[in-house]
Amino acid sequence: MNGERFPVEPKVAEKSVLIKNMIRDLNPDGLQEDFEIPTPNVRANVMNKVLEWCTHHKDTAFSEDDDDDARRASPVDEWDKNFLKVDQEMLYEIITAANYLNIRPLLDSGCKVVAEMIRNKSPVELRRVFNIVNDFTPEEELALKKENEWAEDR
Amino acid sequence: MLGSRQQDTGSRISGGNKAVESAYLLNGGEMYVCLSQYLRHFVEKLTQKPDEQFLEFYVKKWSRYTIGVGYLNNVFDYMNRYWVQKERNDTQNKIYEVNTLALVQWKYYMFDTHSTILIQEILKEIEKQRNNEVVDTYLISAAIKSLVHLGVEQNETKKPNLHVYVNMFEQVFLSKTKDYYMRESQNFLSQYTVVDYLRKCETRFAEEISRSNNYLEDHTKKLLVDVLNEALIEDHAAEMYSQFIPLLERNEIEHILRMYKLLSRVKSTLPPLALQFEDYLKSQALQALENIKKAEQEAANSTTTTGGTSSRKAPTGMVPPKVYIHTLIEIYVHFNDILNRAFNKDPVFVKALDNACRYFVNNNPIALPTPRSPCKTPDYLARYADAYLKSNSKEAEVVDMNANNLMIIFPFLEDKDAFEEHYRRLLAKRLINSNCKSEEAEEQIIQKLQTANSLEYTSKMTKMFSDMKASAELKYYNGDDFKEFTPLILAQSMWPFKHVPDYSLKLAPELQEGFLNIESVYQNRHTGRELKWLWNHGRAEVKANLSRKGKAPFIFTVSNVQLMILLAFNKKKTYTYDQLRDIIGVAPYIFDAHLTPFIKGKLLEQKPIGSENLNAPDTTYTIVDEYKSKKARVNFVSSIKTEQRVEEEETNKVIDEARKDYLSASIVRTMKARKQMKHKDLINEVIQQSVSRFRAKISDVKHAIDYLIEKEYIKRINNDAYEYLA
Repeated sequence: MNGERFPVEPKVAEKSVLIKNMIRDLNPDGLQEDFEIPTPNVRANVMNKVLEWCTHHKDTAFSEDDDDDARRASPVDEWDKNFLKVDQEMLYEIITAANYLNIRPLLDSGCKVVAEMIRNKSPVELRRVFNIVNDFTPEEELALKKENEWAEDR
Repeated sequence: MLGSRQQDTGSRISGGNKAVESAYLLNGGEMYVCLSQYLRHFVEKLTQKPDEQFLEFYVKKWSRYTIGVGYLNNVFDYMNRYWVQKERNDTQNKIYEVNTLALVQWKYYMFDTHSTILIQEILKEIEKQRNNEVVDTYLISAAIKSLVHLGVEQNETKKPNLHVYVNMFEQVFLSKTKDYYMRESQNFLSQYTVVDYLRKCETRFAEEISRSNNYLEDHTKKLLVDVLNEALIEDHAAEMYSQFIPLLERNEIEHILRMYKLLSRVKSTLPPLALQFEDYLKSQALQALENIKKAEQEAANSTTTTGGTSSRKAPTGMVPPKVYIHTLIEIYVHFNDILNRAFNKDPVFVKALDNACRYFVNNNPIALPTPRSPCKTPDYLARYADAYLKSNSKEAEVVDMNANNLMIIFPFLEDKDAFEEHYRRLLAKRLINSNCKSEEAEEQIIQKLQTANSLEYTSKMTKMFSDMKASAELKYYNGDDFKEFTPLILAQSMWPFKHVPDYSLKLAPELQEGFLNIESVYQNRHTGRELKWLWNHGRAEVKANLSRKGKAPFIFTVSNVQLMILLAFNKKKTYTYDQLRDIIGVAPYIFDAHLTPFIKGKLLEQKPIGSENLNAPDTTYTIVDEYKSKKARVNFVSSIKTEQRVEEEETNKVIDEARKDYLSASIVRTMKARKQMKHKDLINEVIQQSVSRFRAKISDVKHAIDYLIEKEYIKRINNDAYEYLA
């Protein structure tokens, strides 16, 4: 785990905007020889996963536009959906890594998968799925329920 | 190669842990403040070398700074994406992305404190370049670009904003440019000619446009051109105008084109030039026409002094139509050529040419020998057409005359109705005397007139052609004895002929059968139509057995009246004047005119002789037994005295009548549609409607209105309006 190296093509690595900028800054005339980029806060097995995604998508052209609404509305890519069928801890770490490395399509997919996990679930189910201890008193819970009564599906 | 190391000390980002999150936010803030201060110190510490121009120093440092900022921005990418983004969304603080922050710091601590000297030096460089000194254009363009980058707005950091560029640079630049060129053009014109100045302007425009492409923002381009237009062109239009006519006189198209191109940059400077063009054209045209008129008068004088007679020619004092029309065309072609080559067919100049042509075609010493007479150009143009459509014109004379020439002048005629009348009269003569050269050519002209004006315009002429065709058909119904008789049935209102009661000829008994036959055939086919014989038109050929024995008989060409006179002599050799006139039947003055050629031609012997005895009741006329002439064919028609003058007056009268009718019809039509109308509007409307036929005078329209009020078609209301009466 410590000091592991992942040799990859520049094209794959450049899916990360962070790395892409770094390569460009250090080699303004184009990449001349191999070099090493330290990514201290990404675990090796997570890095592995991320690189798998990058390799798969190395030729995918993601739309560059900043239109948040369009990005939000589009469904999760089928391959990404299967790729992200991992345990919760791994999923969160992939999201964190995508965030740090600035790989927006992967970050989007990850967040959408989490959103799917939340959708259409009752508080009780959510507590079970995300392993959350109910720290409300029964009175508080009743008050909340009354407050949000309008949203209940009846 | 990518390396990944799991470090226990690395700060991990994870949701839910509030302590870590706030620490992270705090870190962002601290980092931002430190960075901002660092940039400030960096910029403030930059110093100019003693031998360095400020502009040079500025551009050098700016270039390095922007490269460095690029790296810096990437390094702080994560902070940009999260901390800066969040701060900008949450608060109104002046927080920028690192890239923008760097620009803001540069602006405050470098640009704002040195802007005056910087702008001054940029403008100095530009002026040097204008003075053809060698300058480092990179310095200028880099410095100007930096101004664009420094236009950072608090709320819209993404879009470039030109406010620094416009306020700090562009305004000064434009006013300096204006000063520069005002000075230069003033000096230049005081030393050189206008033609040189035109060239100079052309180069200056090219230079400035290339300069603005190289290092000015698009925003400035139009403004710059405006300034140049004002300083170089508008302010000096008067000088250019002053040289326009001399250039035209010398036919220096190249320079005129150059002047036109420059002036056309400022549209408002063109009309005065076009006006000069128009006036010049008019004066040239009048000059040319005055010349041919003079030449013609001199020629006429010399022929009369040498005693030559030109009785067969057009009325005296008349310039030959060909010379006149070709002069008009020459002028048009010459200036049209200038229009195409020097003015790129600019509509303003097209209109000037049009106006001028319309003017000189209708108003010139030949068209209007006296100011009040109707314009003669339509008459000339009709005669011009007649000359080359007639079969008896000499080929060499008419070889360069054609319908296209006719159509060059036609659109400029104001009195198109007069042309129609004149042309139709001549056409009628060509038709009944069957001396049309080619039917195709005739039709071609009618076609062209129709296209240029209207179907209605040529309707009478078209009808005349169909009358001719119908008449040819009718001829076949005549008996064999009369197969050489060619009757023409002409619709009265279409043809310019009138039935003249003075010509009520008595038909010789020999001919009666044929005429009656025609009349009955025609009446059968078209019941209710009245036939009147126009004895004053038409020709007959008579075979006369008056030759010496053994010689072929003479052939006489005679008029209808003359034909009846000759036929009478078949029965008796001698008649008294009264007897003869009684047989023929026409009015005395006509009889005399037709009789005279026979006496002059020595076919009839008059007793007692002398013109004073011509119409004495007892004077006798005897036909000769043997006629003496060198020619086998003798024409007695051409020497009949005709009333040319009368015809001309009559034509003008017909035109006048037609105009009155046209105006009345036009008024009634308009009033019927509108019911009520103001006086002024009605006049305008009617004049507008008649423009394709003639130029109506306001007084004529008023007369027509009065006439219609009298006839109770319309009535006056409220003093200044009219109402239609159904």
